[in-house]
Amino acid sequence: MINHRNWLRLGAFAFILALLYPFVGLLTHVGGWKLGPEFRGSALASVRVSILLTALAMVIIAAFGTPVAAYIARCRTRERLLWQALLLLPILLPPLALGILLTLAFGPDSVIGSLLLRLKVEMTNSATAFTVTQVYVGMGYYVLGAVAAFDSVPSILQQQAALLGVPPAKVFFRVTLPLSRLGLAVALSIAWVRAIGEFGAVVVTAYYPSGIPVQLWVNLQSFGLPSVMPLMVIFLLVALPLPWLVHVLAQYRRDA
Amino acid sequence: MLNAQITKSRRGFKVHAELQLHLGDALALFGASGAGKSTILACIAGIEDPDEGSVQFDGLRFFPPHLPLHQRPLGYLTQDPGLFPHLTVGENVLFGVRDRAASPQETEWIETLKQRLQLAPLWSAGAASISGGQARRVGLARMLARRPPLVLLDEPFAGLDRQSVRELIDDLNLWRRSEGFSLIAVDHQAEVLERLCPEQVMVMEAGRVVQRGSWEDLVTSPATPLLRSLLAPL
Repeated sequence: MINHRNWLRLGAFAFILALLYPFVGLLTHVGGWKLGPEFRGSALASVRVSILLTALAMVIIAAFGTPVAAYIARCRTRERLLWQALLLLPILLPPLALGILLTLAFGPDSVIGSLLLRLKVEMTNSATAFTVTQVYVGMGYYVLGAVAAFDSVPSILQQQAALLGVPPAKVFFRVTLPLSRLGLAVALSIAWVRAIGEFGAVVVTAYYPSGIPVQLWVNLQSFGLPSVMPLMVIFLLVALPLPWLVHVLAQYRRDA
Repeated sequence: MLNAQITKSRRGFKVHAELQLHLGDALALFGASGAGKSTILACIAGIEDPDEGSVQFDGLRFFPPHLPLHQRPLGYLTQDPGLFPHLTVGENVLFGVRDRAASPQETEWIETLKQRLQLAPLWSAGAASISGGQARRVGLARMLARRPPLVLLDEPFAGLDRQSVRELIDDLNLWRRSEGFSLIAVDHQAEVLERLCPEQVMVMEAGRVVQRGSWEDLVTSPATPLLRSLLAPL
């Protein structure tokens, strides 16, 4: 006899099974996977581009986003609402539209674009363009997540630290940051997943150097599924484990 | 000397109080819950700013303008001691004195707090893993470690057993005499306050001061029916 709780568990299991069903695609027979040297070079280059430039974008996001998030977390309701509403704009923008806007805003005809060009900084089809796009794609996610992480630190702790004679900067590094680090890691991992998987904006701003998503699309268009599968497996191995672990750990800590 | 005139709007009423306190003296703030006692302490500590008035202690102006919390020479302990959960008990106690070069007197003072408040067995334990009563003792030690000349206590003993409360009050009285700090304590239990601040009491009702003086005056001629009811045995 199956009791009520086990029926619920069975239902949840069926739900998760349906949700994870697309992974079955990895086992589908699509013909022999193409791993020849003509694919290997471009695949490895795209992995290198994705990992290195996304990592660089994450450093920039964390360096600039963390102080901004710390500031927003301390704002009163109205001002905070304003900042959060503005941060949502790049998040809500369709990726392709974001790519087009970035190309126009940083293109050679724009003030900033022409200035950068004079400084020999290419803002289309370059590593800089790729990184800047990743920063724009991930920054909103990180800052909003970081604000939530800072919010989770009870204000009484910061007040007590200050009343013990510790100045604000030290309170931040000795109390706020340690207590919110897991939340910050979760926010950064969301930004990482969002940025490394970005296709729509990147395909417009930085077709070259190709990251993994653009290379997947190129391979799919040019050679079909057999040339896509190896790169897709690499993509899943590169993009998923770290943020997945961070989320599981955060959940575990929250529930413990 | 503490000199404070505080006016602060609360939902439904206005809190207003004027108080003076000489160095080393203790003042009890007594009244029913929601009378505005904690608001007064929060305004002195700087957690909130008064709408009007001023707060000055020992020649240092706390308000106006708002003096940052870390520049106020005071200790403030509430029902929630606000221990840092990522640190050990020892690290919590030393949090406010960590950056200072410890003199032999300071080291001895920390050791005294550690022994008297029975923190030695807990010293290396995580602050998140200790009981509520132990957390209150750690909070007290942490606050007193930097020897503040002004101590504000907002119902710090709520929920503790009578024996623990008695011991903590006796320790506080002992240290107030030896260290010479001024003390303002808030509670709605008269017996706790009378033991902690036997010299003078100020009674608040709906944001107003309705009586001030000695505990004897309070008991013999309470100013309002509510006060009489608060002082009556259960």
